Amino acid sequence: MVEEIRPRSAPTGPGRLARLLPLVLIIWGFVGVYLLQLTFDGTSKGKMRERLVRELMYFPSGQFLRPAAIEYQTAASDVVWLRAIQYYGHHLMTDRRYDWLGHVFEIVTELDPRFIGAYHFGAITLAWDANQPREAIELLVKGMRANPMNWQLPFDAGFIHYMLLRDYRKAGVFFEIASKLPDAWLVTSRWAAVSVAKAGSYDTAREMWLDIYRSTDNKALRALVLRQIRVLKLEESIDLMQQAADRFYAERERYPYELEELVREGYLEQIPREPYGGRYFIRDDSVRTTTPPGRRD
Amino acid sequence: MLRRVIGIAHNTFREAIRDKVFLTLIVFAILVMGSARVVQPLTLGEGSKVMKDIGLAAITFFSVLIAVLVGGRLVYKEVEKRTVFIILAKPVRRWEFILGKYLGLMTVLVASLGVMTAGFYLIMFITGTPASAYLLWALLMTCFELAIVTATAVLFSTFVTPVASAVFTFAIYVVGHLTRDLRLLAAMSPSPVVKFVSQLLYYVLPNLSNFNIRGEVVHGVVLNPQTLVLAAGYAVLYTATLLLISTFVFGRKDF
Repeated sequence: MVEEIRPRSAPTGPGRLARLLPLVLIIWGFVGVYLLQLTFDGTSKGKMRERLVRELMYFPSGQFLRPAAIEYQTAASDVVWLRAIQYYGHHLMTDRRYDWLGHVFEIVTELDPRFIGAYHFGAITLAWDANQPREAIELLVKGMRANPMNWQLPFDAGFIHYMLLRDYRKAGVFFEIASKLPDAWLVTSRWAAVSVAKAGSYDTAREMWLDIYRSTDNKALRALVLRQIRVLKLEESIDLMQQAADRFYAERERYPYELEELVREGYLEQIPREPYGGRYFIRDDSVRTTTPPGRRD
Repeated sequence: MLRRVIGIAHNTFREAIRDKVFLTLIVFAILVMGSARVVQPLTLGEGSKVMKDIGLAAITFFSVLIAVLVGGRLVYKEVEKRTVFIILAKPVRRWEFILGKYLGLMTVLVASLGVMTAGFYLIMFITGTPASAYLLWALLMTCFELAIVTATAVLFSTFVTPVASAVFTFAIYVVGHLTRDLRLLAAMSPSPVVKFVSQLLYYVLPNLSNFNIRGEVVHGVVLNPQTLVLAAGYAVLYTATLLLISTFVFGRKDF
Protein backbone atom coordinates (compact mmCIF):
# COMPACT_ATOMS: atom_id res chain seq x y z
CA MET A 1 0.00 0.00 0.00
CA VAL A 2 1.33 3.31 -1.00
CA GLU A 3 1.42 5.70 1.90
CA GLU A 4 0.03 9.09 1.16
CA ILE A 5 2.63 11.80 1.48
CA ARG A 6 1.27 14.87 3.17
CA PRO A 7 3.02 18.17 3.52
CA ARG A 8 4.14 18.84 7.10
CA SER A 9 2.01 21.45 8.70
CA ALA A 10 2.43 23.29 11.96
CA PRO A 11 0.92 21.21 14.75
CA THR A 12 -2.18 22.59 16.33
CA GLY A 13 -3.93 21.96 19.64
CA PRO A 14 -2.14 19.89 22.30
CA GLY A 15 0.70 18.96 19.88
CA ARG A 16 1.68 22.56 19.45
CA LEU A 17 1.60 23.12 23.20
CA ALA A 18 3.90 20.14 23.72
CA ARG A 19 6.42 21.61 21.24
CA LEU A 20 6.36 24.98 22.97
CA LEU A 21 6.66 23.51 26.45
CA PRO A 22 10.49 23.24 26.55
CA LEU A 23 10.82 26.83 25.34
CA VAL A 24 8.40 28.05 27.99
CA LEU A 25 10.25 26.05 30.66
CA ILE A 26 13.61 27.51 29.58
CA ILE A 27 12.27 31.07 29.73
CA TRP A 28 10.74 30.42 33.16
CA GLY A 29 14.04 28.90 34.27
CA PHE A 30 15.84 32.15 33.46
CA VAL A 31 13.09 34.20 35.07
CA GLY A 32 13.47 32.08 38.22
CA VAL A 33 17.27 32.55 38.20
CA TYR A 34 16.79 36.29 37.75
CA LEU A 35 14.35 36.50 40.67
CA LEU A 36 16.62 34.45 42.92
CA GLN A 37 19.58 36.69 42.10
CA LEU A 38 17.48 39.76 42.90
CA THR A 39 16.66 38.22 46.28
CA PHE A 40 20.35 37.48 46.88
CA ASP A 41 21.35 41.04 46.02
CA GLY A 42 18.53 42.39 48.20
CA THR A 43 19.94 40.68 51.29
CA SER A 44 23.10 42.79 51.04
CA LYS A 45 21.75 45.93 49.42
CA GLY A 46 24.36 48.58 48.76
CA LYS A 47 27.13 46.36 49.99
CA MET A 48 28.22 44.81 46.69
CA ARG A 49 31.57 46.65 46.64
CA GLU A 50 32.18 45.82 50.26
CA ARG A 51 31.42 42.15 49.59
CA LEU A 52 33.83 42.04 46.65
CA VAL A 53 36.66 43.32 48.81
CA ARG A 54 35.71 41.18 51.79
CA GLU A 55 36.31 38.11 49.65
CA LEU A 56 39.97 39.10 49.64
CA MET A 57 40.07 39.16 53.41
CA TYR A 58 39.65 35.40 53.57
CA PHE A 59 43.08 35.05 52.06
CA PRO A 60 45.84 35.30 54.63
CA SER A 61 48.03 37.24 52.21
CA GLY A 62 49.05 37.72 48.60
CA GLN A 63 51.56 34.90 49.12
CA PHE A 64 48.61 32.51 49.06
CA LEU A 65 47.07 34.06 45.97
CA ARG A 66 50.33 33.96 44.02
CA PRO A 67 50.41 30.19 43.44
CA ALA A 68 46.60 30.11 43.14
CA ALA A 69 46.82 32.44 40.14
CA ILE A 70 49.04 29.84 38.36
CA GLU A 71 50.83 31.99 35.77
CA TYR A 72 48.32 34.83 35.65
CA GLN A 73 49.55 36.79 38.67
CA THR A 74 49.81 40.12 36.87
CA ALA A 75 46.28 39.81 35.45
CA ALA A 76 45.08 38.74 38.93
CA SER A 77 46.80 41.82 40.41
CA ASP A 78 44.75 43.97 38.02
CA VAL A 79 41.53 42.39 39.30
CA VAL A 80 42.55 43.05 42.91
CA TRP A 81 43.65 46.58 41.90
CA LEU A 82 40.15 47.25 40.56
CA ARG A 83 38.70 45.99 43.83
CA ALA A 84 41.13 48.16 45.80
CA ILE A 85 39.85 51.21 43.90
CA GLN A 86 36.25 50.13 44.61
CA TYR A 87 37.07 49.70 48.29
CA TYR A 88 38.83 53.07 48.53
CA GLY A 89 36.08 54.91 46.62
CA HIS A 90 33.32 53.29 48.68
CA HIS A 91 34.86 54.27 52.03
CA LEU A 92 35.85 57.71 50.78
CA MET A 93 32.19 58.36 50.02
CA THR A 94 30.86 56.78 53.21
CA ASP A 95 32.59 56.24 56.57
CA ARG A 96 36.23 57.10 55.76
CA ARG A 97 37.39 53.95 57.49
CA TYR A 98 40.09 52.10 55.59
CA ASP A 99 40.81 49.13 57.86
CA TRP A 100 41.67 46.74 55.03
CA LEU A 101 43.40 49.13 52.65
CA GLY A 102 46.92 48.01 53.63
CA HIS A 103 45.96 44.36 53.25
CA VAL A 104 44.49 44.92 49.78
CA PHE A 105 47.60 46.74 48.54
CA GLU A 106 49.78 44.04 50.06
CA ILE A 107 47.91 41.52 47.89
CA VAL A 108 48.16 43.67 44.73
CA THR A 109 51.91 44.15 45.12
CA GLU A 110 52.53 40.54 46.10
CA LEU A 111 50.85 39.43 42.87
CA ASP A 112 52.72 42.02 40.81
CA PRO A 113 55.81 43.26 42.68
CA ARG A 114 56.61 45.70 39.85
CA PHE A 115 53.26 47.52 39.98
CA ILE A 116 54.70 50.99 40.81
CA GLY A 117 51.29 52.69 40.50
CA ALA A 118 49.91 50.46 43.26
CA TYR A 119 52.78 51.28 45.66
CA HIS A 120 52.47 54.99 44.87
CA PHE A 121 48.70 55.22 45.29
CA GLY A 122 48.62 52.70 48.15
CA ALA A 123 51.26 54.51 50.20
CA ILE A 124 49.78 58.00 49.82
CA THR A 125 46.23 56.88 50.63
CA LEU A 126 47.44 54.71 53.53
CA ALA A 127 49.41 57.60 54.98
CA TRP A 128 46.81 60.36 54.62
CA ASP A 129 43.39 58.76 54.31
CA ALA A 130 43.92 55.72 56.55
CA ASN A 131 46.30 57.63 58.83
CA GLN A 132 48.81 54.75 58.77
CA PRO A 133 52.12 56.36 57.72
CA ARG A 134 54.24 53.51 59.17
CA GLU A 135 52.35 50.92 57.08
CA ALA A 136 52.73 53.19 54.07
CA ILE A 137 56.51 53.29 54.58
CA GLU A 138 56.55 49.48 54.93
CA LEU A 139 54.71 49.15 51.61
CA LEU A 140 57.19 51.51 49.93
CA VAL A 141 60.23 49.75 51.38
CA LYS A 142 58.82 46.44 50.07
CA GLY A 143 58.46 48.12 46.66
CA MET A 144 62.03 49.43 46.82
CA ARG A 145 63.34 45.92 47.44
CA ALA A 146 61.51 44.62 44.37
CA ASN A 147 62.29 47.69 42.24
CA PRO A 148 65.64 49.05 43.42
CA MET A 149 66.06 51.28 40.35
CA ASN A 150 62.74 53.10 40.66
CA TRP A 151 62.99 56.64 42.07
CA GLN A 152 59.28 57.19 42.72
CA LEU A 153 59.17 54.86 45.71
CA PRO A 154 62.00 56.43 47.78
CA PHE A 155 60.61 59.84 46.79
CA ASP A 156 57.22 58.90 48.27
CA ALA A 157 58.90 57.50 51.41
CA GLY A 158 60.81 60.79 51.82
CA PHE A 159 57.59 62.73 51.28
CA ILE A 160 55.74 60.82 54.02
CA HIS A 161 58.68 61.18 56.41
CA TYR A 162 58.82 64.90 55.71
CA MET A 163 55.13 65.75 55.78
CA LEU A 164 53.61 63.36 58.30
CA LEU A 165 56.32 61.89 60.48
CA ARG A 166 58.34 65.14 60.56
CA ASP A 167 61.52 63.09 60.45
CA TYR A 168 63.58 65.42 58.26
CA ARG A 169 66.76 63.33 58.52
CA LYS A 170 65.11 60.18 57.13
CA ALA A 171 63.21 62.27 54.59
CA GLY A 172 66.54 63.66 53.40
CA VAL A 173 68.02 60.16 53.12
CA PHE A 174 65.10 58.93 50.98
CA PHE A 175 65.10 62.03 48.75
CA GLU A 176 68.86 61.59 48.31
CA ILE A 177 68.38 57.94 47.25
CA ALA A 178 65.63 58.97 44.81
CA SER A 179 67.75 61.75 43.28
CA LYS A 180 70.58 59.33 42.46
CA LEU A 181 68.40 56.83 40.58
CA PRO A 182 68.05 56.82 36.79
CA ASP A 183 65.39 59.09 35.25
CA ALA A 184 64.71 60.72 38.64
CA TRP A 185 62.87 63.97 38.63
CA LEU A 186 64.95 67.09 39.19
CA VAL A 187 62.68 67.93 42.12
CA THR A 188 64.03 65.00 44.15
CA SER A 189 67.43 66.66 44.66
CA ARG A 190 65.66 69.95 45.50
CA TRP A 191 63.66 68.20 48.23
CA ALA A 192 66.78 66.51 49.51
CA ALA A 193 68.27 69.96 50.10
CA VAL A 194 65.06 71.30 51.69
CA SER A 195 64.95 68.36 54.11
CA VAL A 196 68.48 69.05 55.23
CA ALA A 197 67.45 72.65 55.97
CA LYS A 198 64.36 71.31 57.85
CA ALA A 199 62.32 74.09 56.27
CA GLY A 200 58.80 73.03 57.17
CA SER A 201 56.86 75.99 55.79
CA TYR A 202 53.40 75.92 54.26
CA ASP A 203 54.84 76.99 50.91
CA THR A 204 57.25 74.04 50.93
CA ALA A 205 54.45 71.64 51.79
CA ARG A 206 52.25 73.06 49.04
CA GLU A 207 55.07 72.74 46.51
CA MET A 208 55.60 69.11 47.50
CA TRP A 209 51.92 68.29 47.13
CA LEU A 210 51.90 69.93 43.71
CA ASP A 211 54.86 67.74 42.73
CA ILE A 212 52.88 64.67 43.76
CA TYR A 213 49.96 66.02 41.71
CA ARG A 214 52.16 66.37 38.64
CA SER A 215 53.63 62.88 39.14
CA THR A 216 50.41 61.00 38.46
CA ASP A 217 47.45 60.53 36.12
CA ASN A 218 45.54 58.81 38.89
CA LYS A 219 42.35 60.84 39.39
CA ALA A 220 41.76 59.61 42.95
CA LEU A 221 45.32 60.53 43.93
CA ARG A 222 44.96 63.97 42.36
CA ALA A 223 41.72 64.50 44.29
CA LEU A 224 43.54 63.54 47.48
CA VAL A 225 46.28 66.11 46.71
CA LEU A 226 43.68 68.84 46.16
CA ARG A 227 42.03 67.93 49.48
CA GLN A 228 45.37 68.15 51.26
CA ILE A 229 46.16 71.53 49.64
CA ARG A 230 42.83 72.83 50.95
CA VAL A 231 43.62 71.50 54.43
CA LEU A 232 46.98 73.30 54.22
CA LYS A 233 45.25 76.53 53.19
CA LEU A 234 42.94 76.26 56.22
CA GLU A 235 45.81 75.55 58.62
CA GLU A 236 47.90 78.37 57.16
CA SER A 237 45.03 80.89 57.53
CA ILE A 238 44.28 79.83 61.11
CA ASP A 239 47.99 80.02 61.91
CA LEU A 240 48.26 83.52 60.43
CA MET A 241 45.24 84.82 62.39
CA GLN A 242 46.40 83.10 65.59
CA GLN A 243 49.77 84.87 65.34
CA ALA A 244 47.95 88.20 64.88
CA ALA A 245 45.70 87.44 67.87
CA ASP A 246 48.74 86.56 70.01
CA ARG A 247 50.42 89.87 69.04
CA PHE A 248 47.17 91.64 69.94
CA TYR A 249 47.22 89.90 73.34
CA ALA A 250 50.87 90.76 73.97
CA GLU A 251 50.19 94.46 73.45
CA ARG A 252 46.70 94.80 75.01
CA GLU A 253 46.61 91.96 77.55
CA ARG A 254 43.37 90.61 76.16
CA TYR A 255 42.33 88.63 73.07
CA PRO A 256 40.11 90.37 70.47
CA TYR A 257 36.31 89.89 70.87
CA GLU A 258 36.01 89.11 67.17
CA LEU A 259 38.42 88.59 64.27
CA GLU A 260 37.28 91.79 62.54
CA GLU A 261 38.86 93.67 65.48
CA LEU A 262 42.28 92.42 64.29
CA VAL A 263 41.64 94.01 60.86
CA ARG A 264 40.29 97.26 62.34
CA GLU A 265 43.31 97.65 64.64
CA GLY A 266 45.79 96.89 61.83
CA TYR A 267 47.03 93.49 63.06
CA LEU A 268 45.69 91.76 59.96
CA GLU A 269 45.20 93.01 56.41
CA GLN A 270 42.01 91.02 55.86
CA ILE A 271 40.32 87.85 57.05
CA PRO A 272 41.25 85.06 54.61
CA ARG A 273 38.54 83.17 52.76
CA GLU A 274 37.61 79.90 54.46
CA PRO A 275 38.29 77.16 51.82
CA TYR A 276 35.24 75.05 52.79
CA GLY A 277 32.74 77.93 52.71
CA GLY A 278 32.60 78.20 56.53
CA ARG A 279 33.51 81.14 58.76
CA TYR A 280 36.51 81.80 61.02
CA PHE A 281 35.89 82.94 64.59
CA ILE A 282 37.81 83.40 67.83
CA ARG A 283 36.74 81.78 71.08
CA ASP A 284 38.68 82.25 74.33
CA ASP A 285 42.25 82.48 73.05
CA SER A 286 42.18 80.45 69.83
CA VAL A 287 41.10 80.96 66.23
CA ARG A 288 38.74 78.29 64.88
CA THR A 289 36.51 77.51 61.90
CA THR A 290 32.81 76.66 61.78
CA THR A 291 33.58 73.71 59.42
CA PRO A 292 33.89 70.55 61.53
CA PRO A 293 36.84 68.21 60.64
CA GLY A 294 34.49 65.60 59.14
CA ARG A 295 33.21 68.03 56.51
CA ARG A 296 36.54 69.28 55.23
CA ASP A 297 36.45 68.04 51.63
CA MET B 1 61.25 10.48 5.98
CA LEU B 2 60.84 14.25 6.26
CA ARG B 3 58.21 14.18 3.52
CA ARG B 4 56.12 11.68 5.47
CA VAL B 5 56.35 13.71 8.69
CA ILE B 6 55.39 16.90 6.83
CA GLY B 7 52.51 15.07 5.14
CA ILE B 8 51.05 13.95 8.49
CA ALA B 9 51.65 17.42 9.98
CA HIS B 10 49.89 19.01 7.01
CA ASN B 11 46.87 16.75 7.41
CA THR B 12 46.74 17.37 11.17
CA PHE B 13 46.89 21.12 10.55
CA ARG B 14 44.03 20.97 8.04
CA GLU B 15 41.89 18.88 10.38
CA ALA B 16 42.54 20.99 13.47
CA ILE B 17 41.94 24.28 11.70
CA ARG B 18 38.41 23.11 10.88
CA ASP B 19 37.77 22.23 14.51
CA LYS B 20 34.95 24.34 16.00
CA VAL B 21 36.60 24.27 19.44
CA PHE B 22 39.68 25.92 17.97
CA LEU B 23 37.78 28.73 16.25
CA THR B 24 35.52 29.33 19.25
CA LEU B 25 38.51 29.69 21.56
CA ILE B 26 40.18 32.25 19.29
CA VAL B 27 36.97 34.31 19.20
CA PHE B 28 36.71 34.08 23.00
CA ALA B 29 40.32 35.20 23.41
CA ILE B 30 39.74 38.28 21.26
CA LEU B 31 36.51 39.05 23.18
CA VAL B 32 38.36 38.82 26.51
CA MET B 33 41.08 41.16 25.21
CA GLY B 34 38.41 43.59 24.04
CA SER B 35 36.75 43.45 27.46
CA ALA B 36 39.85 45.08 28.93
CA ARG B 37 38.66 48.22 27.16
CA VAL B 38 35.51 48.21 29.31
CA VAL B 39 37.44 48.28 32.58
CA GLN B 40 40.07 50.76 31.33
CA PRO B 41 38.24 53.88 32.63
CA LEU B 42 38.06 52.33 36.12
CA THR B 43 41.77 51.64 36.43
CA LEU B 44 42.90 55.09 37.65
CA GLY B 45 45.68 55.71 35.16
CA GLU B 46 46.76 52.07 34.92
CA GLY B 47 44.71 51.29 31.80
CA SER B 48 47.73 50.54 29.65
CA LYS B 49 49.11 48.00 32.14
CA VAL B 50 45.69 46.35 32.59
CA MET B 51 45.18 46.12 28.82
CA LYS B 52 48.58 44.45 28.29
CA ASP B 53 48.22 42.10 31.27
CA ILE B 54 44.78 40.92 30.24
CA GLY B 55 45.75 40.65 26.56
CA LEU B 56 48.85 38.54 27.20
CA ALA B 57 47.08 36.41 29.82
CA ALA B 58 44.15 35.77 27.44
CA ILE B 59 46.45 34.76 24.58
CA THR B 60 48.36 32.34 26.82
CA PHE B 61 45.28 30.88 28.53
CA PHE B 62 43.32 30.25 25.35
CA SER B 63 46.37 28.85 23.55
CA VAL B 64 46.86 26.41 26.42
CA LEU B 65 43.17 25.45 26.19
CA ILE B 66 43.53 24.80 22.44
CA ALA B 67 46.61 22.67 23.08
CA VAL B 68 44.82 20.73 25.84
CA LEU B 69 41.48 20.22 24.06
CA VAL B 70 42.65 19.67 20.49
CA GLY B 71 45.87 17.87 21.46
CA GLY B 72 44.04 15.54 23.81
CA ARG B 73 42.20 13.75 21.01
CA LEU B 74 44.92 13.93 18.42
CA VAL B 75 46.10 10.32 18.43
CA TYR B 76 43.11 8.79 20.18
CA LYS B 77 40.76 9.96 17.41
CA GLU B 78 42.89 8.26 14.76
CA VAL B 79 42.80 5.00 16.70
CA GLU B 80 39.09 5.24 17.42
CA LYS B 81 38.20 6.00 13.81
CA ARG B 82 40.66 3.29 12.74
CA THR B 83 42.32 5.68 10.29
CA VAL B 84 45.59 4.87 12.04
CA PHE B 85 45.52 1.41 10.40
CA ILE B 86 45.45 2.97 6.96
CA ILE B 87 48.32 5.30 7.78
CA LEU B 88 50.49 2.67 9.47
CA ALA B 89 49.83 0.21 6.67
CA LYS B 90 51.84 2.57 4.51
CA PRO B 91 55.59 2.84 5.01
CA VAL B 92 55.21 5.25 7.91
CA ARG B 93 57.14 4.59 11.10
CA ARG B 94 55.35 5.17 14.43
CA TRP B 95 57.70 7.92 15.56
CA GLU B 96 57.09 9.70 12.25
CA PHE B 97 53.37 9.53 12.92
CA ILE B 98 53.74 11.00 16.44
CA LEU B 99 56.17 13.70 15.30
CA GLY B 100 53.92 14.63 12.35
CA LYS B 101 50.88 14.87 14.59
CA TYR B 102 52.81 16.99 17.08
CA LEU B 103 54.24 19.36 14.47
CA GLY B 104 50.82 19.72 12.86
CA LEU B 105 49.26 20.82 16.13
CA MET B 106 52.18 23.12 16.94
CA THR B 107 51.69 24.82 13.57
CA VAL B 108 48.03 25.31 14.43
CA LEU B 109 48.99 26.79 17.79
CA VAL B 110 51.57 29.15 16.33
CA ALA B 111 49.05 30.25 13.70
CA SER B 112 46.36 30.85 16.33
CA LEU B 113 48.88 32.70 18.49
CA GLY B 114 49.62 34.88 15.45
CA VAL B 115 45.92 35.61 14.90
CA MET B 116 45.36 36.42 18.58
CA THR B 117 48.48 38.61 18.68
CA ALA B 118 47.28 40.53 15.63
CA GLY B 119 43.91 40.98 17.38
CA PHE B 120 45.71 42.12 20.54
CA TYR B 121 47.77 44.76 18.72
CA LEU B 122 44.71 45.91 16.80
CA ILE B 123 42.77 46.38 20.06
CA MET B 124 45.72 48.28 21.56
CA PHE B 125 45.83 50.48 18.46
CA ILE B 126 42.09 51.20 18.55
CA THR B 127 42.10 51.98 22.28
CA GLY B 128 45.21 54.17 22.00
CA THR B 129 47.26 51.92 24.32
CA PRO B 130 50.96 52.43 23.66
CA ALA B 131 52.04 49.13 22.07
CA SER B 132 55.61 47.97 21.75
CA ALA B 133 57.23 45.02 19.99
CA TYR B 134 58.87 44.19 23.33
CA LEU B 135 55.68 42.34 24.33
CA LEU B 136 56.42 39.76 21.64
CA TRP B 137 59.18 38.29 23.82
CA ALA B 138 56.49 37.15 26.27
CA LEU B 139 54.59 35.51 23.41
CA LEU B 140 57.72 33.77 22.19
CA MET B 141 58.09 32.28 25.67
CA THR B 142 54.41 31.26 25.50
CA CYS B 143 55.31 29.30 22.33
CA PHE B 144 57.99 27.41 24.28
CA GLU B 145 55.49 26.69 27.03
CA LEU B 146 52.95 25.49 24.47
CA ALA B 147 55.56 23.16 22.98
CA ILE B 148 55.73 21.30 26.29
CA VAL B 149 51.98 21.40 27.01
CA THR B 150 51.23 20.06 23.50
CA ALA B 151 53.80 17.28 23.87
CA THR B 152 52.15 16.36 27.19
CA ALA B 153 48.72 16.31 25.49
CA VAL B 154 50.06 14.10 22.68
CA LEU B 155 51.60 11.72 25.21
CA PHE B 156 48.33 11.29 27.11
CA SER B 157 46.45 11.06 23.83
CA THR B 158 48.35 7.87 22.96
CA PHE B 159 46.86 5.87 25.81
CA VAL B 160 43.80 7.54 27.40
CA THR B 161 40.48 8.96 26.22
CA PRO B 162 40.30 12.63 25.07
CA VAL B 163 38.49 13.75 28.26
CA ALA B 164 41.00 12.04 30.54
CA SER B 165 43.85 13.38 28.43
CA ALA B 166 42.52 16.95 28.69
CA VAL B 167 42.14 16.63 32.48
CA PHE B 168 45.61 15.13 32.96
CA THR B 169 47.30 17.65 30.68
CA PHE B 170 45.60 20.56 32.41
CA ALA B 171 46.64 19.13 35.78
CA ILE B 172 50.26 18.91 34.59
CA TYR B 173 49.96 22.50 33.34
CA VAL B 174 48.78 23.73 36.77
CA VAL B 175 51.34 21.65 38.68
CA GLY B 176 54.01 22.82 36.22
CA HIS B 177 53.50 26.33 37.56
CA LEU B 178 53.69 25.23 41.18
CA THR B 179 56.92 23.21 41.03
CA ARG B 180 58.80 25.98 42.87
CA ASP B 181 56.49 25.38 45.81
CA LEU B 182 57.47 21.72 45.67
CA ARG B 183 61.08 22.75 46.02
CA LEU B 184 60.16 25.00 48.93
CA LEU B 185 58.35 22.07 50.51
CA ALA B 186 61.45 19.93 50.07
CA ALA B 187 63.59 22.56 51.76
CA MET B 188 61.21 23.01 54.69
CA SER B 189 60.21 19.41 55.34
CA PRO B 190 62.09 17.52 58.09
CA SER B 191 61.21 14.16 56.49
CA PRO B 192 63.91 12.80 54.14
CA VAL B 193 61.26 10.89 52.15
CA VAL B 194 59.20 14.02 51.51
CA LYS B 195 62.42 15.86 50.69
CA PHE B 196 63.44 13.22 48.15
CA VAL B 197 60.01 12.90 46.51
CA SER B 198 59.54 16.67 46.32
CA GLN B 199 62.99 17.15 44.80
CA LEU B 200 62.37 14.33 42.32
CA LEU B 201 59.03 15.81 41.24
CA TYR B 202 60.60 19.26 40.97
CA TYR B 203 63.03 18.04 38.34
CA VAL B 204 60.78 15.48 36.59
CA LEU B 205 57.69 17.68 36.17
CA PRO B 206 57.90 20.49 33.62
CA ASN B 207 58.87 23.77 35.26
CA LEU B 208 56.55 26.01 33.26
CA SER B 209 57.17 29.11 35.36
CA ASN B 210 60.50 29.34 33.48
CA PHE B 211 58.50 30.72 30.58
CA ASN B 212 56.50 33.39 32.37
CA ILE B 213 58.09 36.77 31.63
CA ARG B 214 54.85 38.69 31.06
CA GLY B 215 55.32 40.81 34.20
CA GLU B 216 58.80 41.81 33.04
CA VAL B 217 57.81 42.80 29.49
CA VAL B 218 54.72 44.74 30.58
CA HIS B 219 56.82 46.77 33.04
CA GLY B 220 59.60 47.17 30.46
CA VAL B 221 62.22 45.38 32.58
CA VAL B 222 65.40 44.53 30.65
CA LEU B 223 65.41 40.81 29.90
CA ASN B 224 68.35 38.56 30.53
CA PRO B 225 69.27 36.89 27.17
CA GLN B 226 70.59 33.89 29.08
CA THR B 227 67.09 33.29 30.49
CA LEU B 228 65.63 33.23 26.99
CA VAL B 229 68.27 30.84 25.64
CA LEU B 230 67.97 28.52 28.64
CA ALA B 231 64.17 28.53 28.36
CA ALA B 232 64.39 27.64 24.67
CA GLY B 233 66.85 24.81 25.40
CA TYR B 234 64.67 23.52 28.24
CA ALA B 235 61.57 23.51 26.02
CA VAL B 236 63.31 21.65 23.16
CA LEU B 237 64.83 19.03 25.43
CA TYR B 238 61.70 18.43 27.51
CA THR B 239 59.51 18.24 24.40
CA ALA B 240 61.87 15.78 22.70
CA THR B 241 61.83 13.59 25.81
CA LEU B 242 58.02 13.61 25.98
CA LEU B 243 57.76 12.76 22.27
CA LEU B 244 60.17 9.86 22.79
CA ILE B 245 57.96 8.53 25.59
CA SER B 246 54.89 8.99 23.35
CA THR B 247 56.59 7.03 20.56
CA PHE B 248 57.53 4.29 23.02
CA VAL B 249 53.96 4.01 24.37
CA PHE B 250 52.48 4.18 20.89
CA GLY B 251 54.99 1.63 19.63
CA ARG B 252 53.86 -0.93 22.21
CA LYS B 253 50.25 -0.69 21.02
CA ASP B 254 49.16 -3.69 19.05
CA PHE B 255 47.62 -2.61 15.76
